[in-house]
Amino acid sequence: MNHKVMTILHDREIMRYLIMLKMPLLSLSLVMFTLLSFESPFATAGDLPVTVGVYENAPKIFIAETGQPAGIFIDIIEDVAKKEGWTLRYVTGTWSQQLDRLAKGEIDLMPDVAYTAERGKIYAFHQVPVISSWDKVYGRKGSGIQSLLDLNGKRVVVLEKSVQHEAFVNLVNSFGLNTTIILAPDFKKAFEIAARGEADGAIANHYYGAMHAREFGLEDTAVLFNPSALFFAAPKGTHEALLRAIDAHLSELKKDSQSIYYRSLKRWTFEEVQVQLPVWLQILGLVLGVALLMSLLGSFVLKHQVNARTRELQQINQEMEQRIVERTAELAAAMKEAQVADQVKSAFLATMSHELRTPLNSIIGFTGILHQGLAGPLNNEQIKQLGMVQNSAHHLLELINDVLDISKIEAGQLEIVRGTFELRRSLDKVVHLVSPLAEKKGLPIYLHISDAIDKFTGDQRRIEQILINLLNNAIKFTEMGEIRVDCSLPDSKVIISVSDTGIGIKAEDIETIFKPFLQIDTGLSRKYEGTGLGLSITRKLVTMMGGEIDVKSKEGVGSTFSVILPIR
Amino acid sequence: MSDTLLVIEDNEQNRYLMKFLLEKNGFRVEEAQSAIEGIEKALSAKYLAILLDIQLPDMDGYAVARKLRTVEELREIPIIAVTSYAMMGDKEKALDAGCTEYIEKPIDPDSFVGEIKKILMKS
Repeated sequence: MNHKVMTILHDREIMRYLIMLKMPLLSLSLVMFTLLSFESPFATAGDLPVTVGVYENAPKIFIAETGQPAGIFIDIIEDVAKKEGWTLRYVTGTWSQQLDRLAKGEIDLMPDVAYTAERGKIYAFHQVPVISSWDKVYGRKGSGIQSLLDLNGKRVVVLEKSVQHEAFVNLVNSFGLNTTIILAPDFKKAFEIAARGEADGAIANHYYGAMHAREFGLEDTAVLFNPSALFFAAPKGTHEALLRAIDAHLSELKKDSQSIYYRSLKRWTFEEVQVQLPVWLQILGLVLGVALLMSLLGSFVLKHQVNARTRELQQINQEMEQRIVERTAELAAAMKEAQVADQVKSAFLATMSHELRTPLNSIIGFTGILHQGLAGPLNNEQIKQLGMVQNSAHHLLELINDVLDISKIEAGQLEIVRGTFELRRSLDKVVHLVSPLAEKKGLPIYLHISDAIDKFTGDQRRIEQILINLLNNAIKFTEMGEIRVDCSLPDSKVIISVSDTGIGIKAEDIETIFKPFLQIDTGLSRKYEGTGLGLSITRKLVTMMGGEIDVKSKEGVGSTFSVILPIR
Repeated sequence: MSDTLLVIEDNEQNRYLMKFLLEKNGFRVEEAQSAIEGIEKALSAKYLAILLDIQLPDMDGYAVARKLRTVEELREIPIIAVTSYAMMGDKEKALDAGCTEYIEKPIDPDSFVGEIKKILMKS
């Protein structure tokens, strides 16, 4: 391959191209553009040097903003040169300069020359016209030029030494119009003059006009004239071979609808200019475009799915909220019912315990009277049996008292009374109270009170009740060994521990023992009498006093119940 | 000063129990089975003290105590509430109504008379 195709990109095209492929391709495009720019568009490799004149008549021929020649005629002559092995050199200048150079033989080919009989005498032309053209008047906005007769009294710019100059003068003269002719060296200047308001209109071929009129604020008019065929012109007599070659290639090019000829026409005359890209770049662009489209589509689908899921979630959320509201209302109602039921239960238990106390009053009272012998002397057997009645009656009373306590606590009627008392004395008292029971089982009770223990503020009666409960339990569940009571005063707390060497509690039963009406192992309840309420009441009382109860126990070794009360 | 105690109690067995214990310890006892009877007896004679049950069939013991305290001659007489009401505030209610002391049922036959004597000593 000894020839490189020249590719010229307009800035405007580059922008479109960039916009088309969007930002991901921006940097790539810039690199491409840079590479293309550094390649010399003039570079051709061939034996025959051919000098071509270039002037400003876009889109047929012009110097692009990149500084390189471009246009329909350039595309075609490049194609011909490539096939013929010519080396093209370009010389730029104005239309009239180029015509002078052509006449002098300074350039070999002048593109875009309309054939006239007069020119036929000076220059040589080939046979097959490159393109046909006609000229048109482009009016400045507000000039009032719409048709031929509107040109009367107007100033019109026309290209000097051009075919349209001559044709236009003939045209206005033949209609007897008084039109001032202003000459310009090229179409660009002509349009500029009209745009500045120094003329009412300007003349250009329709190729140039279609491309540039709008940017100068000029409008199409119905004034069309001078249809002409455009050729490459060569100096007379020396370039016959060159012209024949052009004719031959033009004929071929015009037969093939996919040829550079038609592509060039399409490229330069369509408003939407097509960019000719290398195949690999087209593929790359296509691939990236597809990828971009896929990712856009993907993100759209994803977004759609996310939105759908969000809506679903919102709906679920709403349903959940409603359900929560309903359920809360149900629970509130159920709780109120439960509270009412609880109060009814507590009131019932209170009444019952009261009613039970009345007959118990006389049972315990008269048993006591008889037992004391107040009603007369008794024999030993009668004393023993009455003692049993008395014990049972007292146990029944304990049960009733516990039930009453529980119902008081649950009804919120139990009040913790605060008073200052001597804790040491209370401890002595409860130990003394339970010692007959312990003595009966041969269990010593060791009481150890820290010297720091003095006066204590709290509910004396309830604290004593708690200690009696714990001591009774310790004695009840211990067959041999000892009972220890320790009272200490570490960091603003009072700890009273009751330890035994009894049966102990399994780890999994520790929580169970605080539940009301429950003694671990139903078998035990026969062996160890009790209400099953003691520890439940004890823990509730301790909690109400702002303290806590701690249990350490090992089955078969013993238990330690510690009551920890805050000092206030 | 009379050595007679008035026992206002609707339950016959409990009334008899108190009467028996008190008489065994040298007191004399006058009985009333209802609130109205109790008030009438309290107004008609002079007693050492009044033992008052709270749950009575015609009116409660608190009302009886309040009624008795309105009578000039009965301002200072010891009124001892003897009751199985043991809910919160029962004792306070009794004292507010004008009772001097409060003994919870069931009474302990070993200590009952001793408690009564202690109260009488104080007043």
